[in-house]
Amino acid sequence: MPFLAAGALVAGADLLDEAGRGRFQWGGTDELLYYPSGLMVRQAALGYETAAADIAWLRGIQYYGEHRQTDMKFDMIGHVMDIVADLDPAFIQPYIFGGFVLAQEMKKPDRGLQLLERGRIANPDNWNLAFEAGFLQYVCRHDFAAASRYFTWASRMPGHPEYVERFAAFASEKAGNRGMATLLWKRVLATGNKYMQEVARRELRRLGEEVQP
Amino acid sequence: MMSRVLAVARNTIREVLRERIVLVLAIFGAALVFASQVLSPLALGEGKKVVTDFGLAGSSLLATLLAVFLGSSLLHKELDRRTIYAVMAKPIRRAEFLMGKFLGLWTTTGFLLAGMTLMVLALLTVVHHETPWILLGSLLLTLMELGIVTAFVILFSSFTTPGLTAFFTLGVIVTGSFAEQILYFGGQGESSFVAGLTGAFYWALPHLSTFNVRGMVTHGVAVPPERIAFGVSYALLYMGAVLTIAGAIFERRDFR
Amino acid sequence: MTQRENVNQAGRVAPAPTGSIREVEPLALLEVEGLAKVYRDPMTLKPFTAVNGLSFTLGRGEIFGLLGPNGAGKTTTIKLILGLAKPTRGMIRLDGRDPRDPAARRRLGYLPENPCFYDHLTATEYLELTCALFGLDARAGRRTGATLLERLGLAAHARKPLRKYSKGMTQRLGLAQALLNEPTFLVLDEPMSGLDPIGRAEVKQILREERTRGTTILMSSHVLAETESICDRVGIMSGGKLLEVGTVPGLLATGVREWEIAVESLPERAAAELSAAGHRVEPLGTRWLIHVVEGPALQRALGLLTQSEVFIHSVEPRRETLEEHFVRALSRGKGNE
Repeated sequence: MPFLAAGALVAGADLLDEAGRGRFQWGGTDELLYYPSGLMVRQAALGYETAAADIAWLRGIQYYGEHRQTDMKFDMIGHVMDIVADLDPAFIQPYIFGGFVLAQEMKKPDRGLQLLERGRIANPDNWNLAFEAGFLQYVCRHDFAAASRYFTWASRMPGHPEYVERFAAFASEKAGNRGMATLLWKRVLATGNKYMQEVARRELRRLGEEVQP
Repeated sequence: MMSRVLAVARNTIREVLRERIVLVLAIFGAALVFASQVLSPLALGEGKKVVTDFGLAGSSLLATLLAVFLGSSLLHKELDRRTIYAVMAKPIRRAEFLMGKFLGLWTTTGFLLAGMTLMVLALLTVVHHETPWILLGSLLLTLMELGIVTAFVILFSSFTTPGLTAFFTLGVIVTGSFAEQILYFGGQGESSFVAGLTGAFYWALPHLSTFNVRGMVTHGVAVPPERIAFGVSYALLYMGAVLTIAGAIFERRDFR
Repeated sequence: MTQRENVNQAGRVAPAPTGSIREVEPLALLEVEGLAKVYRDPMTLKPFTAVNGLSFTLGRGEIFGLLGPNGAGKTTTIKLILGLAKPTRGMIRLDGRDPRDPAARRRLGYLPENPCFYDHLTATEYLELTCALFGLDARAGRRTGATLLERLGLAAHARKPLRKYSKGMTQRLGLAQALLNEPTFLVLDEPMSGLDPIGRAEVKQILREERTRGTTILMSSHVLAETESICDRVGIMSGGKLLEVGTVPGLLATGVREWEIAVESLPERAAAELSAAGHRVEPLGTRWLIHVVEGPALQRALGLLTQSEVFIHSVEPRRETLEEHFVRALSRGKGNE
């Protein structure tokens, strides 16, 4: 009997909370607005920074997903990815994802490149960060010289795939033409990150390419 | 001497294992590891990292909490219920008794830590088809960190109440993780007295960041043998120091 | 013919050959001199003297009873002897050593008052732990432990967790763990506590057997009748001080207090004459008991009863009991303060 009563009380409290969230819209963005700086979180993490980084990463992805389905505004994504970087500078994916969203979706290529550059400085041997920076320079800012520099840098890093050299070559020939853009977007389609794949399909269709849904 | 110490240690292990909280934390730990696997598809390709991070952090945190909250009442219960009288009337030194309590508690919490780490390894092997043995380097250093925490629990419980023991030990853990910052900020001021004081504080506190290699192994970097050797040596020396002080305090204590 | 008795390496008295008279070497197992313990209240720092200037010795092979009311300092004295607390002043020598030296406790057995053992263990496991603490051989220790449990009526409960033990069973286990190392010195704090009359009789028998083996026993007790029947010497404590020490007959050798005459039936006239003479007459079932205080008056009372043709069952001298002496000693002690 006491357990049934307790269960009913909890259910009632949950309904009240849901109604409150619907009416006053607490949680969501507000929560991330109050996320402190990454350095503060790092101190508070007491040795569990990488796990805290994962929590921030998961929260950031959820934030992106929520806003993709609603207003397509991702104002806090840079802040959250900065926090992840403060907590775990060697965590590569947030730099790439954050940089991509900032540059492509929010049309803030400088901010995206700033995040990628931060990752590059923390992880100088990582070819992927340099490659993604080159990609954004090429596609978003059309700065072929800068793109060429990044692709060339990536081609000198250990573990890079063989196509990086080709990208470096194309960029150096001022490959700001459709062929180059198509090649790059098809590569994005193959990366496996479902959100980036959606963007790649959209861009390829815009370029007149037929794409599988 | 060792047979007496081990006898007390064995008894402590038996005593601790019968506490319900051990089972609760072990189940919670297992649930945490498997929950991290449930979350991993949401991590956009970083599922392996999430499982590893949550598993290592969770095992360390749970083992530490167990050491602090279970260990803080271990000695107090003996004194309160007077089970210690019949034991201390035997030819056993007080320091040997404390050592046995320490070893028993460390062993039990160490098993929880190791068990969870092995669960993470098993999960990574089965689901992600990788067995990062380098996690064992992190396990060893975390075990040493746990030993230092346990030594502080024994030290504080040799002269104060369970509540204060837990409070002081958690205080040491928190300030130990800030040790480098304390030294840095102390040196920034103009007062050489403050600099000296913070320096002394820094050297007295345990440098717990020494044992934090979770980030390293998560990103696939093996812990260098030299770092392990240094960490283990530092931990053993530090534990020895703390337990020596604990033994000296306990030696002077009257059993009322 | 006398022979000096050999005290072997273990401190035990070796049996003398038949027909000879024993003479024991005067080796004190325990020496206490000027012992004092002052506690301070942790908040007010007000001193409290639990033991004040205690001095006594215990010879080998004797049973010594430490008697006193609650708060007299008996348990504190025992703790000081065992090294569980540190004296403020004074000296204790246990077999020639400081009791805080673990070597001094190697042949010591201790039964605490209202003993409490690890309730997650069974009796067998607890005795195994005790074995290990004494550094005894595990196999031999298991055999000795099993024998002791059998002797103390716990064999059937050897594998039961101690949290399911009754008070009496816990007391018996306490005795078992105290005897495990074949001690030369047994310290028992309220050994009869929680035991029924049969249990008490069994414990007394065990203590007598231990004494025969040459074990020295120090026991503190409230049960004075039991102490009287078993102790060679007693010490009476009050307010942290030792008021009296001596053998029981020695302490009580103040003569006969009264005589008790038990008769079959008593005519009214004889009863009235005895009462008039100041003697207490009380019915006891089918008989009568006449309490006569003085020696000469006994003769007159017996004469009266004989003249009245009363059948006399018995004439018993009633000496001071230890309990009565104890109460008198405490009152004297209070008066001197």
